[in-house]
Amino acid sequence: MGLFDIGSMSSDVKEYYDFVIIGGGPAGLTAAIYARRAGLTALVVEKALEGGAVTQTHMVENWPGEKSIEGQALGQKFADHAKHFGAEIHYAFAQKVTIDGDYKVVELDDGHSVRCKVLIVATGTQPRKLGVPGETEFRGKGITYCAACDGYLFKDKDVVVIGGGDSACDESHFLAKVVNSITMVQNLPYLTAAKILQERILNDPKITVITNHVVKEIRGTSKVEEVVIIDNTTKEEKVIKTDGVFIYVGLSPMTEVVKGLVEMNQNGYVITNENMETNVPGIYAVGDIRIKGLRQIVTAAADGAIAAEHAARKYF
Amino acid sequence: MADVRIKIYTTPTCPWCRRAKDYFRQLGLPYTEVDVSKDQKGAEEMVRKSGQMGVPVIEIGNQIIVGFDKAKIDRTLGIN
Repeated sequence: MGLFDIGSMSSDVKEYYDFVIIGGGPAGLTAAIYARRAGLTALVVEKALEGGAVTQTHMVENWPGEKSIEGQALGQKFADHAKHFGAEIHYAFAQKVTIDGDYKVVELDDGHSVRCKVLIVATGTQPRKLGVPGETEFRGKGITYCAACDGYLFKDKDVVVIGGGDSACDESHFLAKVVNSITMVQNLPYLTAAKILQERILNDPKITVITNHVVKEIRGTSKVEEVVIIDNTTKEEKVIKTDGVFIYVGLSPMTEVVKGLVEMNQNGYVITNENMETNVPGIYAVGDIRIKGLRQIVTAAADGAIAAEHAARKYF
Repeated sequence: MADVRIKIYTTPTCPWCRRAKDYFRQLGLPYTEVDVSKDQKGAEEMVRKSGQMGVPVIEIGNQIIVGFDKAKIDRTLGIN
């Protein structure tokens, strides 16, 4: 028995939409905008945050037209734009997709089942785990995967950022405004982030970069206290005392919902043609879950536009 | 409605915090917000109560919910 008497909160999801889009990030929301402007009905199924993972990014500086915008604000703009043209956004987790003749049926975890002619999978990626002892144990106890969310809790503390790509560098730049010091640990001999991001890191007196070292273990008692790293060349172990660990070591695709249904590679990235079509007629894949060269907001949005435009012509 | 206080510990840049606040607004339930980026005492209180350092933390009566755990929020509130 709960503390309040609020009753049922079921929202009104219809049984059929021309387009069902799984994932409310830049790719999915752009597909929704194009579908609506083609006069078709569109439901976006989002499990977490409208706007997608962009909303957890500190700052976006490579979306044309916005010199510098907070990820949260840009994600919200995408969602507002899609809603402005009449796309519906429904919070639920898509569990299963089945084929029924020319229709696809998407089962949601809240009990709804939605039919559509065109299914666009835009489920995106999630942060990859480091896979070292202590990582699971100290999650939320000093280990986090979202500097934008939890950074302020490490005000004036000493933290470690693991990774050397765009995310690791941009989030370190953000954290440097809040924390006392940052030690970045990168497994490769160099950083892989865009040059402009690297320069900010290297010019920041609060940030020390250690390259060519891998993390062996994250240790502590009730919370994180130290990170053990190993020099790739000398195999020498070092211990870094720390209050927090921010992990940015890449991403993995969240394509479980269509596993076994559409063709993907061994890492779970979906194979499409240039129109974003998968091997199953009427099912498209867009954004970061595709096998592609560049995973960015701008390429995700482009995928969404291409898929929706193609599907609108081919199936309606 | 029971006389139960709802408190949400947040930071301004945390999207899950906004989702949590939106949800309580949608339910029409008033809440107190503690911005732990500005309120150091509030931050310490949150860490002590939740035993961890991530936001959001939602306090409903004497229940502590870590993250925007909608199922747990709904259970605590009695929403079916």
